[in-house]
Amino acid sequence: MKRNQLVQQVKTELADRLADVVERNAKRVYLTVEPEHSLAVNRYLFEHGGRLATATGVDCRDWIEVCYHYCFDPLNVVITVKAKAYKPACELDSVATLFPGANFIEREIQDLLGARFLNHPDPRRLLLADDWPEGVYPLRKDYHHEAHVNTGRAVSPDHGRARVLSALRRG
Amino acid sequence: MEEPEFFQLFVEGERVVDADVRLSYNHRGMEKRCESLTYDQIPLLLARICGICSASHPMAVANALEDLCRIEAPPRAQYIRAIICELERIHSHLLWVGLAGHFIGYNTVFMWAWRYREPVLDLCEKITGNRNHYENFKLGGVRRDIPQEAIPEILECVNAVEKPLTMLTKAVLDDPVLSVRLRGIGVLSEENGRRYCVTGPTARGSNLPIDVRRDEPYAAYDWVKWDVITQPQGDVFAKAVVRLLETYESIKIIRQCLEKMEPGETDNEPRSIPPGEGIGHAEAPRGETFHYVRSDGTNYPLRYKARAPTYVNLPSFKASVVGAELADAMLIVAAMDPCYSCTERMAVVDSRRHIEGVLTMKDLLRMSHEKTARLIQHHGIHPAEWKC
Repeated sequence: MKRNQLVQQVKTELADRLADVVERNAKRVYLTVEPEHSLAVNRYLFEHGGRLATATGVDCRDWIEVCYHYCFDPLNVVITVKAKAYKPACELDSVATLFPGANFIEREIQDLLGARFLNHPDPRRLLLADDWPEGVYPLRKDYHHEAHVNTGRAVSPDHGRARVLSALRRG
Repeated sequence: MEEPEFFQLFVEGERVVDADVRLSYNHRGMEKRCESLTYDQIPLLLARICGICSASHPMAVANALEDLCRIEAPPRAQYIRAIICELERIHSHLLWVGLAGHFIGYNTVFMWAWRYREPVLDLCEKITGNRNHYENFKLGGVRRDIPQEAIPEILECVNAVEKPLTMLTKAVLDDPVLSVRLRGIGVLSEENGRRYCVTGPTARGSNLPIDVRRDEPYAAYDWVKWDVITQPQGDVFAKAVVRLLETYESIKIIRQCLEKMEPGETDNEPRSIPPGEGIGHAEAPRGETFHYVRSDGTNYPLRYKARAPTYVNLPSFKASVVGAELADAMLIVAAMDPCYSCTERMAVVDSRRHIEGVLTMKDLLRMSHEKTARLIQHHGIHPAEWKC
């Protein structure tokens, strides 16, 4: 398959799911989708040979934009799905239910930007410290370090999440 | 090379039945920091993501920003970029070979690999002024040209590296102990490789021919001849073979670049940064580095995303370690060449007896060394005699 064939195919077969398509150049295509179509579009791209390079979360005032970047390596094109997670709930269907490669990537966005991924197989914290306050997201635009963090945190001495997992398995 | 990482392994006897990874003990908040840096400062900060990949991240920054600005660097700058990236790949792969040798108690490999890494680092210093952290890549070109009259001397150094490299590669690939010890452990199947979205030598060792240098040629990779190395087995040995053979391709690339390079401009910096977004990726020694930038037309990016290769390779540890022996666990982690190369400690939970304990790196090393010794005894083989 050729690069433009793939892009054409994506545009026609997903026509009713895409809110916007921008072909910035032949190698970079950006698809914008509403939250209810995110999972279907992601599944389509993964099943047609896309490799999820990573996802970027961007704070856009009224929503968190989660950009899933799919590389189609042999075709030399990167297709980005921009899924909007509207505030205040910021909910999206989890792509990690389709393949495990999205697991860490979505947990990172959950920690740093506060997007919520529904049905995520393992929604524990990944990057933030155990004693980081709930509901404070360091990559949001309204985050201020002094106001949110330098207020004296309680420090938990144990291994935090690792401990929790072993307790779960034992139960 | 001791960096913190927490692996929790669930074992039944000596077999690993499940695994969990905990990371980010040293999260440095670089993406947040990038939002308050100018576009000229970003490559300097992101070079500090890793001391070993200190050319790959700035390379991806340059690719992303050039995609954003719709410009290209001049040809001479592209050749210089490729040369530095490949020198980095050689020294990084040699570093890995040495560490892998150390982990199985084969310290001869460790000593030799690191000894032959030294001249490569010296060469880096000659070209860029630094052994690591080259600070040479920028938006639109490179900061420092290679003087044309220095090229014969550099070529000589590159040729001098090749001979000991051949000797080392042969010795490693033909060694009976290494072959018995590394084959068939930590297998990552092609299907799992795809599901975990792995990149770099971890993918190429599992028969996935992914290489950004070929798939989306940047720098000078389109103008020189070289091959993508893949291996079908997916075990630790396959990954070792991929890395060792790749160093030859790197030498091939460097040699062609030095020969083809013509005098000319090395910088094509734009006057301003337009609003929009850009994606750039580059093939680091450990896999693909992926960068995304969004600009609103001011001096600072709205969002800068940098994803290092280990972040996608590490989760695949779960697929390759389950079913392995505890003595091999450390080697399987090392086979991915994770950026925080050593696991500081590992927690072990025996799921039948509900015993929890923490094994330090020393314990794991000892277990790994003992297994090598057992194998040597069991098979009655002797390590091949190594001649210089």
